[in-house]
Amino acid sequence: MARGDAEFVEFARACSGRLTHAAFLMTGNHHHAEDAAQTALVRTYASWSRIRNGDPYGYARSVLVNHLVDTWRRPIREYPSDDLPERSGGDLAEEVATRRWLVTALGTLTARERAVVVLRHYFDLPEAQVARELDVSVGTVKSTSSRALEKLRTAGLSAPRPQETCR
Amino acid sequence: MTEMDELRRAMRATERADGLDLDDIMRRGRRLRRRRRAGAAVAAMTAVLAVAFGVEAVATRPGPPNLPGGEPAATASAGPPAPTPTAALAPTQSPLQPLGTVVDSGIRYGADARVFFMVPIDVPELPRVTIGLVAGRRAPDGHLTSDFLLNDVSGSDRRAGFHEIGYDQQRAPTDTSIPTFGYFVGPAARIVGTVDGRQVEAKLARWSEDPQVVIFWFDPKTLTPGTRLDGIIARDPQGHRL
Repeated sequence: MARGDAEFVEFARACSGRLTHAAFLMTGNHHHAEDAAQTALVRTYASWSRIRNGDPYGYARSVLVNHLVDTWRRPIREYPSDDLPERSGGDLAEEVATRRWLVTALGTLTARERAVVVLRHYFDLPEAQVARELDVSVGTVKSTSSRALEKLRTAGLSAPRPQETCR
Repeated sequence: MTEMDELRRAMRATERADGLDLDDIMRRGRRLRRRRRAGAAVAAMTAVLAVAFGVEAVATRPGPPNLPGGEPAATASAGPPAPTPTAALAPTQSPLQPLGTVVDSGIRYGADARVFFMVPIDVPELPRVTIGLVAGRRAPDGHLTSDFLLNDVSGSDRRAGFHEIGYDQQRAPTDTSIPTFGYFVGPAARIVGTVDGRQVEAKLARWSEDPQVVIFWFDPKTLTPGTRLDGIIARDPQGHRL
């Protein structure tokens, strides 16, 4: 395997889970999320020689988000899904509850609100960068983020807390 | 804990290992890379064809070209934006006068300005191709230099939609890199290109001789010259895709 390929494999293994999860948060659908993450990594690999010495993770994230945004612009509706992935380790019941809460909470938001929330609070990007990646103004990011938070408050959603004891 | 804190915690708590098929990703990535390279090769071939057809507006000798400075016709100003497919030519000298206004892109190379203008061309095999779009430079004294002539190599130069797109052919950026440019025929109010999942908006200017012809180019700050576009669309003033 060429050195560049080995680097890409290492990179993809390290970040594919996070990219897939971000896509899931934005679409609420595991299948669409895996497709989107796969597409982002395909394009990242196609440009690998050009970007490998820069910020390949930022590149992949940007491709992912724009791919999803492009998808939303097409007349395709996506719906939250309840399907739960297999997972080993940890408290499965708690995770199931948290995931359900998460899907419900994010499902109250529009596609753009979800994208802003994920970029800001999952990827922890500054507002200016979120604006660049979504090709909107910083003001739009602020107002969208604020609206999303307000929706969550109005919905009265509260994440399930980890159970300390269970008798 | 605020809602956002809870949301943040939940988003992280539900991360999971994924099962993406890396072999498939790399296979598709290689295919995409090959397609991009093939596209670039086709563009280069198209340019060569244009030369072979004997486009009068272009001399195939490399070297600084000049247009009789004369009256740098009226100058149109630019509006905004978009990108896509291509065909291009190496720097040449054009003895022809611009047809209509010379469009000032606002891009400067020292004292020279990047300009775009139409020139008449005559290709016996292509009777419906009579104009070509030049990416040139205008010196302070009004002299025009032609860097790149772009013209159709089939059909009609007034066919609705996108025509050939010109990409800088240099392998490395130069001081006078040519922005990605071209023209669209139709009521385009916006032209937007996609590259590597990112959208870039083109600058627009209508051609003085035919307002249906919309000259567009991408600011080198937003689209590195020579970067191939993955796609390009035009929208009318109401935002409908053309």
